[in-house]
Amino acid sequence: MAATNSKSRDGARRGARGQVLSRLDRWRSYRQHHSSTLKSSAIKILREPLQSLLTILVIAIALTLPTALYLSVENIRQLSGGVEASAQISVFVKKGARESALDALGEKLDGLSGVASVSYISAQAAVDEFEALSGFGSALQYLDENPLPDSFLVQPLLVSDAARLVAEIRQLNLVDDVQLDLAWLQRLDALLDMGRKLVLALGAALGLGVILVVGNTIRLAIQSRRDEITVVKLVGGTDAYVRRPFLYSGLLFGMFGALVAAILLTALGFWLAGPVDKLALLYQSQFSITGLGVGGVITLLLIGGTIGLIGAWLAVGQHLRNIKPR
Amino acid sequence: MLPRYWARANNMSMIRFDNLSKRYESGYEALRSVSFEMDAGEMAFLTGHSGAGKSTLLKLLMLIERPTSGNLLINGKNLNRLPDAKVPFYRRQLGVVFQNHQLLFDRSVYENVALPLQVAGYSHGDIGRRVRAALDSVGLLDREKHNPIALSGGEQQRVGIARAVVHKPKILLADEPTGNLDPQLSAEIMALFKRFQDVGVTVLVATHDIDLINRMNMRIMRLNQGEMEQDGVRYGGY
Repeated sequence: MAATNSKSRDGARRGARGQVLSRLDRWRSYRQHHSSTLKSSAIKILREPLQSLLTILVIAIALTLPTALYLSVENIRQLSGGVEASAQISVFVKKGARESALDALGEKLDGLSGVASVSYISAQAAVDEFEALSGFGSALQYLDENPLPDSFLVQPLLVSDAARLVAEIRQLNLVDDVQLDLAWLQRLDALLDMGRKLVLALGAALGLGVILVVGNTIRLAIQSRRDEITVVKLVGGTDAYVRRPFLYSGLLFGMFGALVAAILLTALGFWLAGPVDKLALLYQSQFSITGLGVGGVITLLLIGGTIGLIGAWLAVGQHLRNIKPR
Repeated sequence: MLPRYWARANNMSMIRFDNLSKRYESGYEALRSVSFEMDAGEMAFLTGHSGAGKSTLLKLLMLIERPTSGNLLINGKNLNRLPDAKVPFYRRQLGVVFQNHQLLFDRSVYENVALPLQVAGYSHGDIGRRVRAALDSVGLLDREKHNPIALSGGEQQRVGIARAVVHKPKILLADEPTGNLDPQLSAEIMALFKRFQDVGVTVLVATHDIDLINRMNMRIMRLNQGEMEQDGVRYGGY
C-alpha cells in the first residue's frame, strides 16, 4: 500500500508501490524459476509414469530406428574401407611375351595415374603358389606346359578409380585379360550412398513423428492445466512464464527418449557383437562393431532434446492462444 | 479554467472511463458510452441485473477485452495504447477477486497466494513474508499448508482475497465476491474490502447483493443494459 513512499525518490520513480525489485532480484528469480520449472517438469513426468513411459518409448523407438541404420551404414563403410585397401587388378599377359616387353609393360602400368603399386608374378611363381595352396599340385605334372600366364597385380589408390584403370589397361599391348573382382565393392559403395540417404529420409520422417508425439503430449498437458494457465495469466504471468514449463517438458521428453534409444542401441551392439566377431574370424578380419560412443550419445541427446523442444514449441504456440484471457 | 486544470493534474483519477463502449463480435452491445471516475483510495459498488454489463466493465479493466470506442485511463495512462506484450505487467497492478475464486486445487493455500509474486519474480524470502502477511490479513494464517479444497466457501473466498492483495495492488476488483456466501460471511468479506480501502487501495466491487451494499453507505454505480443509469452515494433502502 502506500508504505514504500518512505523508500526515497528511487522507490517513487519506480512508481508501483511494493514492486521494489532490482534487476538482480529479477534475474535471480528468473533463474530460480527456470530451475524450479525444470525440477517440477521432471517430477510431473515421473508422477505419471505410465503415460510418460509410453511417450518416451515412442520417441526412443523413433530415434533408435534411424540411428541403428546409420550405425549399420557406418560399420559397413568401415568394413568396405578395409577391403578397399586390398583391392587389386589382375593383368594377364599374352603368352610368349619377351622379357623386355614385360618390363616395358610393368613400367607403363606403374606410370598410369591412380596406381599405388604394381607387382609382377611370373607364370612359374603362379604355378608354385597354386601347387602350394590348392592341393592339386600333382595334377599339374600331367600337363605338358605351364597353363598359367605371366601376370601383374595392380593396386589402385582409390577403389573408385579401378574401373577407369581397367579400361585403360585393356588398351595396352600384350594385355590378354584384365580382371577386377571388386565390382561388388563399387556396388556396395553405391548401396552405402543409398543407405546414407535412407538414414536422412527415415530420420526426417521419424523426427517429424517425434515432433508430433511430443506436440500431442504437450497439448494434453496444456488442456489438463487450463485453469492454472488462466489464473497465471490473470495475475500477470507473461507468455514466456506460461510457456516455460511446457517447453521444459518437451525438452525432457526428447532427452529421456534419446537416453532410452542410446540404451537400446548399446544393448543391440552387445547382442550383435558375438556373432559379428565370429563372422569376422571366419573371414580372418579384425573387424568389430563400432557403437555410438560417448560423442554419439551426447549428439543423440542433443538431437532428441531439440526435437522435443520444437514439438513443445509448436504445441504451445498453437494451443495457448486458445486459452482466455490472451 | 486554470484552477480546474490544476485540480485535475494534482488529483488524477485512478480509474477513468471516458465514453467507453464495447460491442462484441456477435454484435451485442455490452457497454454504451460509459463514463465515470474513481479516485485513488475510493471504494465503490458496481451493480445492475445480470447482462447489464458489470462483467464486461471488469473485463475491460483487466484488459481481458479491449473497448470498441472511448478511452480507459488508469492512473493517467491510456490503456488503449498499451501493447499486448505489456498487458501482464499492467495486470500486476491489479488485484482481482473472482466469484468462483479461481483457486488451484493441485497446490496448497500458501502456493495459491504466492502465485502473483512468483509470476512477478519476487525472491523466496520476500514471497514467504508477503504471503504470510496477506494470509494474516484475511485471518487464515493457520491454513497455509491446507489444500483449498478442504476449506469452507467463505474461507476459500478469503484465500482468493489474500491472493488478490498479496502483491499490494493499487486497484482491487471483485466480481460477485459474495455470490455464494450467506449474509454474515458476505458482511465479513465486505469489511475486509473496506480495510484495504482504508490503506489507500481503490476498490471496485461488482455485485447484485442490494441488501448488502445498501447497508454500507458507499458510492453505487448502477448499470442498466450497458448504460450507466445511476452513480452516487445512496443511503437507506432501495
